[in-house]
Amino acid sequence: MSVAAFNQVEMKPKDYKSEVPTTWCPGCGHFGILNGTYKALSELGVDPTKFVNISGIGCSSRMPYFVNSYKMHTLHGRAGAVATGTAVARPDLAVCVSGGDGDGFSIGGGHMPHMARKNVNMTYILMDNGIYGLTKGQYSPTSRPEMKAYTTPYGGPEEPMNPLLYMLTYGATYVAQAFAGKPNICAELIKGAMEHNGFAYVNIFSQCPTFNKIDTIQHYRDLVEEVPEGHDASDLGAAMELARRPGGKAPMGLLYKANKPTLRENLDKIIEKVGGHADYDINQIIARSKP
Amino acid sequence: MEKKDLVIRIAGEGGEGIISTGDFIAAACARAGLEVYTFKTFPAEIKGGYAMYQVRASSETLYNQGDTFDVFCAFNGEAYELNKHLLKPGTAFVYDYPGGDFEPEIPEGVHAYPIPMSKTAKGLKQYRAKNMVAMGAMSVLFNINEETLIRVLTDKFTSKGEEVLRLNLEAFELGKKMAAEQSKTDTYRVADAQEPKDVIIISGNDAVGLGAVIGKLDFFSAYPITPATEVAKYVSTHLPKCGGVLVQAEDEIASLAQVLGASYAGKKSMTATSGPGLALMSELLGMSTMSETPALVVDVQRGGPSTGLPTKHEQSDLFLAIHGGHGDSPRVVMSVEDVKDCIDMTVDALNIAEEYQTPVVLLSDGSLAFSTQTIPRPDPASYTIVDRRKWDGQGEFKRYLFTDDNISPMADPGTPGAMHIATGLEHSETGAPNYGPVAHEANHRKRFNKIAPLVDKYKPTEIDGDPDEEADVGIITWGSTIGVAREAIARMREEGIKVKGFYPKLLYPMPVKQYEDFAAKCKKILVPEVNFQGQLSHFIRAETSIKPIPYTICGGLPFTPIMMIEKTKELL
Ligand SMILES: Cc1ncc(C[n+]2csc(CCOP(=O)(O)OP(=O)(O)O)c2C)c(N)n1
Ligand code: SF4
Repeated sequence: MSVAAFNQVEMKPKDYKSEVPTTWCPGCGHFGILNGTYKALSELGVDPTKFVNISGIGCSSRMPYFVNSYKMHTLHGRAGAVATGTAVARPDLAVCVSGGDGDGFSIGGGHMPHMARKNVNMTYILMDNGIYGLTKGQYSPTSRPEMKAYTTPYGGPEEPMNPLLYMLTYGATYVAQAFAGKPNICAELIKGAMEHNGFAYVNIFSQCPTFNKIDTIQHYRDLVEEVPEGHDASDLGAAMELARRPGGKAPMGLLYKANKPTLRENLDKIIEKVGGHADYDINQIIARSKP
Repeated sequence: MEKKDLVIRIAGEGGEGIISTGDFIAAACARAGLEVYTFKTFPAEIKGGYAMYQVRASSETLYNQGDTFDVFCAFNGEAYELNKHLLKPGTAFVYDYPGGDFEPEIPEGVHAYPIPMSKTAKGLKQYRAKNMVAMGAMSVLFNINEETLIRVLTDKFTSKGEEVLRLNLEAFELGKKMAAEQSKTDTYRVADAQEPKDVIIISGNDAVGLGAVIGKLDFFSAYPITPATEVAKYVSTHLPKCGGVLVQAEDEIASLAQVLGASYAGKKSMTATSGPGLALMSELLGMSTMSETPALVVDVQRGGPSTGLPTKHEQSDLFLAIHGGHGDSPRVVMSVEDVKDCIDMTVDALNIAEEYQTPVVLLSDGSLAFSTQTIPRPDPASYTIVDRRKWDGQGEFKRYLFTDDNISPMADPGTPGAMHIATGLEHSETGAPNYGPVAHEANHRKRFNKIAPLVDKYKPTEIDGDPDEEADVGIITWGSTIGVAREAIARMREEGIKVKGFYPKLLYPMPVKQYEDFAAKCKKILVPEVNFQGQLSHFIRAETSIKPIPYTICGGLPFTPIMMIEKTKELL
């Protein structure tokens, strides 16, 4: 994310809270992620006027309403593509997407690889509850087949996808995973993502007590295991190995981090190469079309 | 009547230099002070296939590609086979003979000029110089200004080295010599050179790109699709010089999404596509409307539905442009007539998107996309550039504030005190979700009413002819078909036929009164358009009291003036 927005203000986590009351069900994991986000913003001293929080559609995508900042509530699946435009157009802003697993990997699945491989300078927080919440409980790309849901009364016919492997494969330069039940770890990883120059992906398990009856808070608590000490986050192979869930455990922490030029930095190099500037004499361009 | 224009059609296999031959002749005529209008069709295949390039040159203003050709130059047998039915008494026919791959039958009255194009090129061991031989021959036969043609060739080949230039010019000279040995039996000649004018020669697609640069675009998101891709090519070449950026997105959905993200961030943003891409964008067009985020989409129409006729001309996206999408989703729809409009109206469309905080769909079409035309050199300083209305910092900022003109001030991210949400949900003035009936109706009214004044504020629809005079037939048409109507109407008037034209550039919101005032003076209204359903006719029937007579074609090619003249005469 953009460092220009950092260390600008001294605000407590609660100061980032907007006046809009939250709409989530009691016990929803999304609360933990929201609190983690407030904390990360506070610790980084992010100027809320320079923070743009963009979302698609879903329970999770309501997040921007609750954050005191500039924000855009877009269409189901399109938040990442919208945010790409914002981040490229205004490198001085800190851009963050908040969205669900259905939003990001189902309808928006076509956009995820490209944000990652283009290394768009932004943070993508995926609130992974293994279900479609807002449409009242259909199975999602991360649902376990054991789950009986609205459209899978006999259990699911599909294998779930592995978001971490996916993002590592497509070249995300910061990949981390957390659990909504651990807001401090969430905050720490979100903060790292925001500080990262490039595309940062944070997968956060988030229980949906209303519709997902098998991925309970206890299930996630038992599932996650902190990234082993000594894990080398610059080693893509090691990150992929962890993402494959050795021993059935889901890694929690920073899996991978790399430094690469961002999309905007590469575009700036092109502008520099051609000596581009806002006052360029357009007559020179027109002259090229003389017969 | 003295003929002031000449139409030369060159055809052969893609890769034989058909396109460059056409470009050379067009550039030479333009340098010689003539007006040029070119037209081309090319195959959907990457390699080979039939390619055709037609140059119309005149000492007078040109509005279209012409009825048919006067001169036909066939590079191979396929080109001959595909065009032989058009060889009429009086046509001049230049062809590769002897030594070519075909032996044509010359119909009665056709003026035949066999030129051994392939053989001569082979003799020079310069197989690719076949088109140079043809060009040399045509310059002699049809008075193509030799001085400017040689200058064009020299400019083109100098960078390729002296030897290449020498061989090409030698081939050109041989072609000239062979033509000089033949006796010219027809009377066709390109008009003599005139005082050179300060013009440029540019295609419709490049002109859209130039309009974007002149209109101070900041951000372009592209996804390749025929026949729109060249817009992105032009923009990617020139926009970085002005400090702007082009991103190639993963699909058209992402293109328009990126445009909205960049526009929300305060940047002038656009994309260009063709029908299938516009169809994919329809949900985001609604998002642009609902969130009042400025966006420009240029749609270079091609034949549909589905992948349809990917390289062919059609004007059939009007329904999609105006109504495509869910909900009541107003947007401004405009269409260009010619290459000059491609520049001017791209600037206008960017301005309108900014001023009215709305999506604008600017319709171009497949025939304009590649048509090159001579137009006066544009002066970038002469264009007005409009920016969005910004919040003045006074009082509480409400993004969707109700105002007298229905336009709410905007605040770019980074502005202190104006943090807000831009949203695709129905909302209150602040942007907070509000699904109540009062809010939904009031916002609909706001979104429709804010663009309504355009019907008076955007330049009035042009009437071709005396607005007060009664006419037997009034022709209403749109897009590049306007150029055909202009010539058809001029020719009919010379014959004493009472006919007038009405050329809307703003298609939605529809200037209903202007349509009705025009129609009131016409006994019949003919609406020619290149689509099956008569899409503009449909809107005229729906929105006005006029009973239009649709005249539709959809064979992948534009109208010709003669077609429109014949149809009009049927109505008299
Ligand atoms: C084009 C489109 N298709 C479908 C929907 C309906 N829809 C709204 S939210 C949603 C899924 C939300 O699930 P997820 O993204 O996992 O987020 P959660 O609600 O679980 O946080 C769907 C299918 C829509 N709004 N737009
Ligand atoms: S439905 Fe599930 S995801 Fe949505 S708010 Fe309730 S608990 Fe959270």
